[in-house]
Amino acid sequence: MPRESRYQNRIELLQGTLDLLVLQTLRWGPQHGYGISQAIRVNSGEVLRVDTGSLYPALHRLEGQGMVSSEWKVSDNNQRVKVYRLTAGGRKQLASERSRWEQLSEAITRALNPQGQEGEA
Amino acid sequence: MKLRGWRRRDEELDEELRSHLRMAVRDRVDRGESPEEAEAAALREFGNVGLVKEVTRGMWGRVWLRQFGQDLRYGLRMMRRGPGFAAVAVLTLALGIGANTAIFSVVNAVLLRPLPYRDPARLVTVLHDGWKPVAPANFIDWREQSSSFEAMAAAQLWSLTMTGRDRPEQLEVLQTSAEMFQVLGVDAALGRTFAAGEDQPGREHVVVLSHGFWQRSFGGGTDAVGRQVMLDGEPYTVVGVMPPDFQFAPFWATHAEAWVPLNLGRRVSDRRGQSLRVFARLKPGVTLEQAQADMEKINRQLAEQHPRENEGLTVSVDPLHEKVVGRSRPALLIILGAVGFVLLIACANVANLSMSKSALRRREIAVRIALGAGRWRVVRQLLTESLVLSLAGGAAGLLLASWSNTALASLGPDTLPRVRTASLDAGVLLFTLCLSVFVGLLFGLAPALHSTKTDLTESLKSRAQGPSRGRRHERVRQLLVVGEVAVSLVLLVGGGLMMRSFLRLTSVDPGFNPRGVMTATVPLAGPRYATDEQRAAFFQRLTTQLGSLPGVKSVSAINHLPLGGDVWTLGFTVEGRPAPPDAERPAAVYRVVRPDYFRTMGAALLQGRDFTERDDDASPGVLIINEALARRQWPGEEPLGKRIIVNGERSKSREVVGIVKDVKQGEWASEPQPEMYLPHLQAASPRSMTLVVRTSPDSLEIGPALRREVWAIDSDLPVSRVSSMEEVVAESVGQQRFNTLLIGLFAATALILAAVGVYGVMSHAVAQRTHEIGVRLALGARGRDILGMIIRQGLALTVIGLAVGLAVALALVRVMSSLLYKVSTTDPLIYGGVAAALTLSALLACYIPARRATKVDPMVALRHD
Repeated sequence: MPRESRYQNRIELLQGTLDLLVLQTLRWGPQHGYGISQAIRVNSGEVLRVDTGSLYPALHRLEGQGMVSSEWKVSDNNQRVKVYRLTAGGRKQLASERSRWEQLSEAITRALNPQGQEGEA
Repeated sequence: MKLRGWRRRDEELDEELRSHLRMAVRDRVDRGESPEEAEAAALREFGNVGLVKEVTRGMWGRVWLRQFGQDLRYGLRMMRRGPGFAAVAVLTLALGIGANTAIFSVVNAVLLRPLPYRDPARLVTVLHDGWKPVAPANFIDWREQSSSFEAMAAAQLWSLTMTGRDRPEQLEVLQTSAEMFQVLGVDAALGRTFAAGEDQPGREHVVVLSHGFWQRSFGGGTDAVGRQVMLDGEPYTVVGVMPPDFQFAPFWATHAEAWVPLNLGRRVSDRRGQSLRVFARLKPGVTLEQAQADMEKINRQLAEQHPRENEGLTVSVDPLHEKVVGRSRPALLIILGAVGFVLLIACANVANLSMSKSALRRREIAVRIALGAGRWRVVRQLLTESLVLSLAGGAAGLLLASWSNTALASLGPDTLPRVRTASLDAGVLLFTLCLSVFVGLLFGLAPALHSTKTDLTESLKSRAQGPSRGRRHERVRQLLVVGEVAVSLVLLVGGGLMMRSFLRLTSVDPGFNPRGVMTATVPLAGPRYATDEQRAAFFQRLTTQLGSLPGVKSVSAINHLPLGGDVWTLGFTVEGRPAPPDAERPAAVYRVVRPDYFRTMGAALLQGRDFTERDDDASPGVLIINEALARRQWPGEEPLGKRIIVNGERSKSREVVGIVKDVKQGEWASEPQPEMYLPHLQAASPRSMTLVVRTSPDSLEIGPALRREVWAIDSDLPVSRVSSMEEVVAESVGQQRFNTLLIGLFAATALILAAVGVYGVMSHAVAQRTHEIGVRLALGARGRDILGMIIRQGLALTVIGLAVGLAVALALVRVMSSLLYKVSTTDPLIYGGVAAALTLSALLACYIPARRATKVDPMVALRHD
């Protein structure tokens, strides 16, 4: 199925980062899928837009891995919504992914601005 | 259940995505868009709903599956990386699983598969003393008076000649009550079975054919129904053809190929001629015990009403299935047990192999665990590798089984019912799959648990095996070897006992010399052979003509061939003695022979003379007896010249003119009973006689000539069961040969596998101790000392295994006693021999690695870490 594999490529591409963002968002409290996507958008200053085709597979995968748990709740305007919550495992995963991300971004920053090398004139 | 969970998750996903859309629309409306615009925009933003669902759904359960896939790929890669290990393991497992599959397919066909009748659990046999046939009048009374059965029917065998087609043919036909097919609950595949009342005189000339016979004689044409066949010279109309898997009767007369109604005629009041086998279907809810009680009550009444005929006869109601398989069950279950033991040994070997393998992979496993893989995760990976091996072994085993299945089916003796229908059907395949998975867990679990129970820092630090853990590891492997030796000892004892029993059995002197004797049965039927004189004249002419064929040394004929035919017993009275009461009247096996019988068969005439052509009706009555009869009737006296009257044989006074050595009668394994031979020309000439022809060793196959000579006299006569006397003898010990062959084969396999196991463990031990051996050699130990040390270690294991095995064997082989002929299950010769054979092969298995140990170069060994 070429269509599916296209999507999966995108998931693969985003996977680490998306997981990190989702887990980070859930740190502030339980949230439903739509809420997560809005929060990421707002918190990133409207830069990051999470594709639903990536968000829901990621949520379901994280749930399968025990990083998040879900339950059905009734929202403020009386509608059933599925709400995700960070688990203890997810908290640990978040910490390690966070530090990995920080290492990575630090390394990339350093690589882009090598010290001791000639600076921009 | 799983499916329902799946569907619920699907609905929930739907709802989740819908709520997402709803919220997005409401936010847009709140921001001032019109509802229509908002909905369109939200949908656009959302993307392809179906696709999102599909990708999300793909995440469910994937984690486990993906990991399994990873493990599987890894397992296959490991197999490719160590092809030697994989090949040995798969081959060993294939042997074990294949043998188990093959034997199970036989057990399945013979013991487990239900009989091909409707609701067969309710079918029973009703017989005197559990096996004796029943007289017609008793059967009729039973049927009328019993209340436990839905229907009851009787059957008797009728060997007849079918004519009117290409060649006259000898057929086994069952005459059955019209209700028989109702009892069995089986309908004809083509046409019909018997209608009610078709067993009444005048209506009984209809026949139902078996599927095989229909194929053979009518080419499977649907126009067969309505056609006529000639059975013993009388026309019968074909009314139906049975389905392909139908067979009746399932025990006794198993070769019956057609069924005709049983017309009892004048025999309805006969209480003496016990010829009927009675079958019945229990009413629903009636237990076997109730039916038994019911029948016993009727039997008691009959014994009171007809004391002369029924005194002392018991009746017993037995499940039909039990009747069919009861005799084969012990042997088959023992064989199944034996082959299970072989599999256990194979498992132990593979476990051993994979333990040495996992010792090498200790670092890999430690790294995995250090990197955060849970122990369970690693165990799962190792188990998956074992499963890959065992499933590969199972697949190869299936191949092996399908191949040996044909051999088993053709080897299976006639006495093993339904053995020829053994096949790898769905049930057997399921068995093999379960067995493979079970075996994979069995040999995989111990090494997997063992190698993950590891001190991380220890294994990561040291490259070599830590001494303490190494020893523990070693102990498990030694335990496996002890177990292997013990189990193979049990198998070898079983195999040895069977072999010894079989040798005992076949070395028994049958009382005749079967080599070079050809036999063929010629049944006479029709008006041309109505009288004794006509029948006698036919055989006289036939034997004379056969005698003049080139290569024929002598020719004779007998009514019932020893080991190959019936055994009839007739009562007799000794002249000059007061007639004893009925119950004590002497009886003997009754044979009718033509002159030259004893010479032709190579049976020793100990005293007196043989019959001649002059011993006919006109001359004084004569008779030849066997030693057993002479001993029984005239102990310490001279039997020659004594006179006997054989009941039912023209009440003629007969003089004993000869005594022959005892000859095997019905069954090979039983002791000869008193026996009497009557001259053919002086007896009620049987309708069917079996020719015996002794040829010179270099003469050609006489079978075709035999047929030609019979047909030269009468082309309407069938010639059946043309076989050499050696074949007849071989067939009579077929069951024993089958058992012996299988158990012996498995015992030999066990011996080889156990030797391989000992070899594997000792090689590993030597490799482990290279360093130590190097030190010893450096300190001045001689090669001989090292050799002795290794061999002692190996032998110690073997001896422990032998001790355990002896104890188990003594307890276990007792179940085999019913299979053995004149061999005790505690035969010291077998136990001693088997222990010696096992020790010897263990010695050999230790010697090779021990030799290698002595070749260790101390310098290299000391550097080895």
